[in-house]
Amino acid sequence: MKYETRVEQTSEREIVITRTFNASARIVFEAWTTGELMRRWWVPKSAGITLLSCEIDARVGGSYRFVFQAEPEPVAFFGRYLEVSPYTRLVWTNGESGEAGQLSTLTFEELGDTTRIVLHELYPSAEALEAGKGAYDGMSETFEQLDAVLAS
Amino acid sequence: MTLTGMKKHVGVLEDAGLVATEKVGRVRTCRLGPRQLDEVTAWIDRYRRVWTERFDELDQVIEDMKQKEKERQR
Repeated sequence: MKYETRVEQTSEREIVITRTFNASARIVFEAWTTGELMRRWWVPKSAGITLLSCEIDARVGGSYRFVFQAEPEPVAFFGRYLEVSPYTRLVWTNGESGEAGQLSTLTFEELGDTTRIVLHELYPSAEALEAGKGAYDGMSETFEQLDAVLAS
Repeated sequence: MTLTGMKKHVGVLEDAGLVATEKVGRVRTCRLGPRQLDEVTAWIDRYRRVWTERFDELDQVIEDMKQKEKERQR
């Protein structure tokens, strides 16, 4: 069965995403901290975007770097892990300085055979959250195009 | 709702740009602000959409991981 993805804007600078998965916290945590696994789901196939590389060093102070194919040149997303508590909690920055981008806090809570994750995306200001919306517009446009293709 | 509570509610809406208020004498009038509510919900819908797609793929990855572990245990 598929669980619902819940998205709530909890303040002018924070968005909270909640989802449950049919697996132990260990497995879900691994899927978030292993480059080879993450590259299979971070950019959905339907988004039509090619992920060239996905490097993750999930240790405190370690960094991650995702490189996407784009014109005129590839675009990189990167940041650093501030907290890594196996199977329970991850905190990472988005962008080098950690000032411009949001701070992501991800918690894993095992409930029986399932794991509930809660991702907090805390932006430094309301303006930064506004600016961050652009990245999602592009991706969802692709999904909408796909919808149109499937419907026809 | 108390007057203080009401003021707080309107303040939040105003900060978000959803309403604009104007005080004339003792009366504060409210009208819809520069940002329309459907603009806000449309953005959240797009955001949810991206994460839903992502997590649906993650479901698949997780199923594969579980399958591999089962095979290893055999």
